[in-house]
Amino acid sequence: MSPEGAPERKQRVLVIDDEEQIRRALKSVLSARHYEVDLAETAERGLELTAEHTPDIIVLDLSLPDMSGLEACKRLREWFRGPILILSVRNADDDKIAALDLGADDYLTKPFSTGELLARLRALLRRTQGVDSSATEIRTGDLCVDFAKRLVTVKGEPVHLTRIEFDILAQLARNAGRVVTSRMLLDTVWGPEYVGDTQTLRVHVSHVRRKIESPGDVSRYILTEPGVGFRFVELDNE
Amino acid sequence: MNWKRTALAGGGYPFAALSVAVAAAVLLPFRTVLPDPMVMLLFVPVIIGVARVAGARASATASLLAFFAIDLLFVPPYYRLSVARPSDWVGLLVFLIVAMISSQQAAQLRTRERAAVRRQDELALLNRLSFRIASEGSASAVADFIVAQVTEVLGARRAALYVGAPAASTPPRCLAEAGLLRPSIREGALVNWVLLTSKAIGMPPARGIPYDQRIVSVGATEALPGVSTDGVFVPLQTSTSLEGVLFIEPAEAGGLTADDGRLLAAVSNLAAASLERQRLEADAAHAEALREADRLKSTLVSSVSHELKTPLAAATARVTGLVEEGESCDAARVREELVAVAEDLSRLNDSIGDLLDLSRLESDAWQPRFEPHDVRDILGTVLSRLPAAQRDRIHFDLSEELPEVLADHAQLARALSNLVENALVYSPADGEVTVGARPNGDTVSLWVEDAGPGVPDAEKVRVFDKFYRGAASAGVPSGTGLGLAITREIVRTHDGTLKVEDAEPQGARFALTIPIAHEETQ
Repeated sequence: MSPEGAPERKQRVLVIDDEEQIRRALKSVLSARHYEVDLAETAERGLELTAEHTPDIIVLDLSLPDMSGLEACKRLREWFRGPILILSVRNADDDKIAALDLGADDYLTKPFSTGELLARLRALLRRTQGVDSSATEIRTGDLCVDFAKRLVTVKGEPVHLTRIEFDILAQLARNAGRVVTSRMLLDTVWGPEYVGDTQTLRVHVSHVRRKIESPGDVSRYILTEPGVGFRFVELDNE
Repeated sequence: MNWKRTALAGGGYPFAALSVAVAAAVLLPFRTVLPDPMVMLLFVPVIIGVARVAGARASATASLLAFFAIDLLFVPPYYRLSVARPSDWVGLLVFLIVAMISSQQAAQLRTRERAAVRRQDELALLNRLSFRIASEGSASAVADFIVAQVTEVLGARRAALYVGAPAASTPPRCLAEAGLLRPSIREGALVNWVLLTSKAIGMPPARGIPYDQRIVSVGATEALPGVSTDGVFVPLQTSTSLEGVLFIEPAEAGGLTADDGRLLAAVSNLAAASLERQRLEADAAHAEALREADRLKSTLVSSVSHELKTPLAAATARVTGLVEEGESCDAARVREELVAVAEDLSRLNDSIGDLLDLSRLESDAWQPRFEPHDVRDILGTVLSRLPAAQRDRIHFDLSEELPEVLADHAQLARALSNLVENALVYSPADGEVTVGARPNGDTVSLWVEDAGPGVPDAEKVRVFDKFYRGAASAGVPSGTGLGLAITREIVRTHDGTLKVEDAEPQGARFALTIPIAHEETQ
């Protein structure tokens, strides 16, 4: 993990949330981490600020007074290409999934800790900053995924994955720390014209797990986000 | 029974005449050889037979007819009322008197016998009724039995039992009915009238019932002007309340006999008592359920307010303390206080989450979405939710081959998280917690084992109850007391089993089974 502290240049975060307490808390937490923070209490104001400043990342609450969070997500996506992090309340699964399918990149369930929020922001920004997307490999725990050579090793031993299995693992690992929806996986691995079902995907993911996780242990690298998709977790290398 | 009914037609008079005619016809060929007293003697049993079968009036008639038949056919001169010898008059008169007396005796005997049989039937019926009423669980079962019995014993064409509040503008509720007829329109109106007034309609005059126990009865016209009915409506009256109305449409016009009325009154009393008992029991059960719900609600409110307020109060105290101290306190202390506040808030969040989840589970608002899942995947989610420092305390004991279970990922992860968090809390500091899984027939067995104080046998069932906190919970950080209730609820929706056992050498072992996903469901 990158050490806490200042990024190379100040990154701009736009927080769209109608609750003043949340806005104030996020402003103080994020400013202390040297982010530039803009606040909007309505979706309309959020859209204006997006046009004015072009933030690096948007944190969007799904329950807004002036338009549905889904509508806001759709409108933002018309001009904004950066990552969008959804804030949702407990158990609003359907909204969450719809927002992810409309182009949001990840979600956090309220209430969340600052640690969780910062980890999500970093994971999302890493991709657009080009910090990690050019990386040729990911090492975490006993696992190493070499994207260029299409090679996977566990404890240094090469593991044989089929083409589809490797594509799934690579897609998840490139988005380490972020949720990847089932639809995104199906699109990138099989192509958008493929009308795949999540059952097939699930079976392939379980094959990948069997090959990279140690037998007799729980799944540590790939977690299921029920109803949404999967998340690749980087283990703390201590 | 059929020939007896025929014999009784027309009040038994045709039968009496026929019997005498047949006897005369049989004896006629022998009138020259049989002495007159012998003929008279032979008529007596015939007359007694008539008395047995058709009663006193028919046998008196038979006696008279026999008197004339003997005079005309057997005492010379034949075919004339006069007699040859005056002493024959004496013989005929003696015959008439003897025939009359013995026939009346026989008829009385018959009446008594019939009354005795009738009593026996009544007693048997009342016996059956009271036995059934004492053993029957529901009012409608008792009502069904009563109308069926009444229909059979009284030979009614229709019987029905109504219940309902008096003065109701709605039609009374028919609890049970029997017989061939459909209810007539006026039946409901008359039942309502009986419910309003507690008076019977069409009851036969009571005999042999103490005056104060008699039911006041009126004609149908008196109840509803212009209405006439053969039916009998009896209020089912206890000493304190009117429970309903018993209706009977007798087989024959002319209604019921006094005996029938007495039986009906007795049955009505029994029915009323039974219905009252059923009603009071239902009321008591309802009241008990309300009290239980109230008790649960107040437990909930007090526990909820306690669980929510405690962490809030603690966090508030710490934060306001820091604000008061102002610039004077050093950074290390501020940090220490804030760490504690974060813990309080996290506990508050857990409590709110528990409450929401349990209420959504109990109201079926959190419907599980069953899909095949790898237990190791679900346990991975459980592990990822634990604070990093706690993860190393978990030791996994998993079979290498585990079939997939049919489960809702989020719910099962929640159920297992509760068990694992519990185990971590109750274990001695830094004690290890074992989480295991192995295939077990059509299920996968999962267990979470700690080395804590364990659960005493007396608490093994109650430990899953809402808000129940065992004796061992003194001194451990308090939770909502809902975690295990949530786990039990989730395992229930998964058709699984859940129990707590003793671990070796000490500690608690929570064991559950979850059905595996079969191929066809994949």
